[in-house]
Amino acid sequence: MIQLERISKWHMQGGRPVFILKDINMTVAEGEFISIMGPSGSGKSTLLNVIGMLDVPNEGGYNFMGNDVFKMKEKQRSALYKHHIGFVFQAYHLIDELTVYENIETPLLYQDVKGSERKAIVADMLDKFQIVGKKDLFPSQLSGGQQQLVGIARALIAKPKLLLADEPTGNLNSKQGEEIMGLFKELNNEGVTIIQVTHSEKNAEYGSRIINLLDGRIQM
Amino acid sequence: MIKNYLKTALRNINRYKGFSGINIVSLSIALTGCLIIGLFVWDELQYDKFIKGGENIYRFYTKRTDNTGVTSTASVPPMFATYVQQQYPEVENTNRIIMLNSKMLVENGDVKTYEEKWIATEPSFFNFFPLKFLKGEPNTSLSDPNSIVITEDFAKTFFGSQDPIGKVIKINKSDVVVKGVLANLPPHFHLDFKFIMPLSALGLPKERMQNWQWQQFFTYIKVKPGTNIQQLQNKFQLAVKKEADPKNKERGFTFSPYLQALKDIHLTSSDFIYDNAKRGNADYVKALTIIAIFVLIIAIFNFINLATARSFRRAKEIGVRKVIGADRRQLVLQFTSESVLLAMASIIISVIAALLILPSLNRFTEKNISFPFFSNPLLALSILLAGIVIGILAGIYPALFMSGFQPIKVLKGLKPGAGNTGFSSSLRKGLVIVQFALSALLIVCTTIVYRQITFLHNKDLGFNKDQVIYFDVRGDVEKHPETFKQEILRTPGVVSATAGYGLPGDVLAGDEIIVPGKEGDKTQSVNLFIVDHDYIKTMGLQLVKGRDFSRNFATDTSEAFIINETAVRELGFKTPQNAVGQPLAWNKWEKDSLNPVKKGKIIGVVKDFHYKSLHEKVSAAVLQIYSPVIAKMAVKVKAADLPKTIAFIKSAWNKFSPDYPLDYKFLDENFAIMYKAEDKLSSLLWIFTVMAIFVGCMGLFGLAAFSAEQRTKEIGIRKVLGASVMNIVTMLSKNFLKPVFIASVIAFPVAWWAMNKWLEDFPYRVNISWWIFAVAGIAALLIALITVSFQAIKAALSNPVKNLRAE
Repeated sequence: MIQLERISKWHMQGGRPVFILKDINMTVAEGEFISIMGPSGSGKSTLLNVIGMLDVPNEGGYNFMGNDVFKMKEKQRSALYKHHIGFVFQAYHLIDELTVYENIETPLLYQDVKGSERKAIVADMLDKFQIVGKKDLFPSQLSGGQQQLVGIARALIAKPKLLLADEPTGNLNSKQGEEIMGLFKELNNEGVTIIQVTHSEKNAEYGSRIINLLDGRIQM
Repeated sequence: MIKNYLKTALRNINRYKGFSGINIVSLSIALTGCLIIGLFVWDELQYDKFIKGGENIYRFYTKRTDNTGVTSTASVPPMFATYVQQQYPEVENTNRIIMLNSKMLVENGDVKTYEEKWIATEPSFFNFFPLKFLKGEPNTSLSDPNSIVITEDFAKTFFGSQDPIGKVIKINKSDVVVKGVLANLPPHFHLDFKFIMPLSALGLPKERMQNWQWQQFFTYIKVKPGTNIQQLQNKFQLAVKKEADPKNKERGFTFSPYLQALKDIHLTSSDFIYDNAKRGNADYVKALTIIAIFVLIIAIFNFINLATARSFRRAKEIGVRKVIGADRRQLVLQFTSESVLLAMASIIISVIAALLILPSLNRFTEKNISFPFFSNPLLALSILLAGIVIGILAGIYPALFMSGFQPIKVLKGLKPGAGNTGFSSSLRKGLVIVQFALSALLIVCTTIVYRQITFLHNKDLGFNKDQVIYFDVRGDVEKHPETFKQEILRTPGVVSATAGYGLPGDVLAGDEIIVPGKEGDKTQSVNLFIVDHDYIKTMGLQLVKGRDFSRNFATDTSEAFIINETAVRELGFKTPQNAVGQPLAWNKWEKDSLNPVKKGKIIGVVKDFHYKSLHEKVSAAVLQIYSPVIAKMAVKVKAADLPKTIAFIKSAWNKFSPDYPLDYKFLDENFAIMYKAEDKLSSLLWIFTVMAIFVGCMGLFGLAAFSAEQRTKEIGIRKVLGASVMNIVTMLSKNFLKPVFIASVIAFPVAWWAMNKWLEDFPYRVNISWWIFAVAGIAALLIALITVSFQAIKAALSNPVKNLRAE
């Protein structure tokens, strides 16, 4: 599904390159659940963003489901991630002005899904996450765990093949964290490929594979 | 999708109340101004559009050149019409309206009024202007010399519900028969009258009608469709050169004919000395349009400024939307629909405001403008459409700007795209500069216009126009003016009285005066004042040399002239000293075979007095006593017990001329009217300048708030490090003062240029002194400072601990 080849990213500081990512080679098969670990500043989030096509490295190649990502135009690339990738953030990043229902519905709007169909899909999702009762609330009226549930629901609404999560439990207490991780496991069993960035050994254990990052390099 | 956008838009408007409030209020104010001005301008442009075939109708005017310069007038000699009709086949028809400004006494039994609004014209009038006849028949109604055509309202006044056709009424004591009743005139007709008399009723001698010099007729021509007007005009200019110039040149001037299209009469005749049309002023219409656009620009810039300034607040939302699949187009659409929504809200508010203001506007402009928003779907639709366009104009840049944010950066909490913010903040500065430049421009213009108008109203006119009433003499008062004068002088309320023809601000006679010389006589055209022994005293003219007319010199009634300083120069006497004692001669108006020419000497010189409006230069004036022509009487009264004095004059009048009602006026009324257009311009400028400044300040206020908010952390740190409130206020305010300064530098030359051009039209004008610019600059600076420092002080006073913790 994903092949990264010799991905490097740096910025210049005092005339010398400082590497954020260095020679990353990585392959992810469909159905995997990967945890990326490493200390602060090791490049985890950057790597995730590169995979999510939100960030571009200075060097290297990226093949996503048979597409050479870096050779694609901006528009094709966003169409690609729009259809195949869902994002979950540590800070949830729900839209404050929209209700739970509307937050979840928004990706479908952007994909021009018809009204009736949209309704059915969102209703299913609310059902599945057991947040039907909260659908008319605004994010500020929810607890952190609930907000993250909505965030995940929103990420999954367009049936992506790949779910990218940047410290999804970072702002949650341990009980809420466990629930989210359980959910990830479940989703993975249903066939969604997941890559998460995490600090926690425990959460990393939910994955099928762990990639350790230190100073921008993968530790073997 | 649209529903979703609207929902988000509404919630955003609600959530950022300050931002939305500033935008809606400033846009509403600006749009109300635009609507009001738009209605006014639209109305001004409607004149004579209702006349079928009007595109083939033109009116003559002449440009007259003499040693004082060039003047234009719509009154032309009678031969213009005769000549073009005879010589040019492309001229289908002509029509002349004689210029007469006298009031007519209209009587039907006991109903008596003086009527000022009337015309005397040829039967072709109705061929030119197909006015609606309620009764009677256009083709024959003016063919008989004692016929009259009246308007609906006029018929009601004199005949009530009776059918007026065939009835007799008295006009200035002679009987005329009503031959037609017109529907009340359309409001957008350039002529205004209550009745029409046939030109033939005046019994003008044939030879007068063959005159090339007597500029007394408003003349219209109708040409065949497709006629080249420029060619016709050129051709006729040559003809006039041949026919009229030789005689004119003897008198020291020439004139050249021009044609103006019917639809242009209303707006392009404002500088004509004589015109009977309802006149607007194209320059003022243009100026108002420009000002309306200024205010709208300021409001739109507010939107752009505030939207980009607060964009960092929405950066997260933008990032999220992009990550979950929004493409740029969709975001642009979303943000634009928000601004369209704001604009629509504003336009609805401004439509309501315009409807509320309209009655005042009509009072102010003395018009009857309607705003059929609810009954004219096309108008309503185009206004709403304009709202959408304005929303798009205001929203498109911020939308493009915000939709360009890179999600990765904004989600990390960084300021969105460093390069972008750089541009948008300089754009903001640029827009603020433009806004303040427009405001500074308006401040300067308003101040100068105001000063010029105060000057016009207060300038020493060289005579005293206050406490003078005047009236037309009629009946026995006309026959025995001296006796009447003695009669009214018996009351202590009357200071003095004078009878004659030629009062300042009233109808004046133009004629030629002859200066006998060694190389033969020289004629010079002057304004002729027929006066009596008490004129100079009553009007408060100042003698600079020689003496006033005196009853002690019997010859003063037949051989004496008094001239003004301009006449001293124009008649070639060089100094007043030199002028006194010089011979002058004048062809009498009423010829007596013994002495057709009055020969006499100059006995005195008066200081120039402004007997016309200050729009015109004082011309040469000659005062003389000539008893056959007594048309008006002016009475200087005391301010105390004025009603008693007037009652006394009235009763004296009724003893002398019981057949005529006394119809008096104050002399200064005429002078107040002269500057009405400027007065109105000045009021409008004030209103719109305040509007522009207010709208601009609202934007600045919002920007200052955002800027203070953005720098909360910095302010907190600085305060912790020991900065005083004053330091912080200065730091925050400084940024805004530079644009204001730059704006002034840009605006002042433009203002100077525009005002210089405007003032050029006034022969008597104020100087544009440097202090006006200094004051305008300081005013703009102060206004900006007050607006900004309000936010700055608020920010500076806030508790740093709280601010830092919130970060």
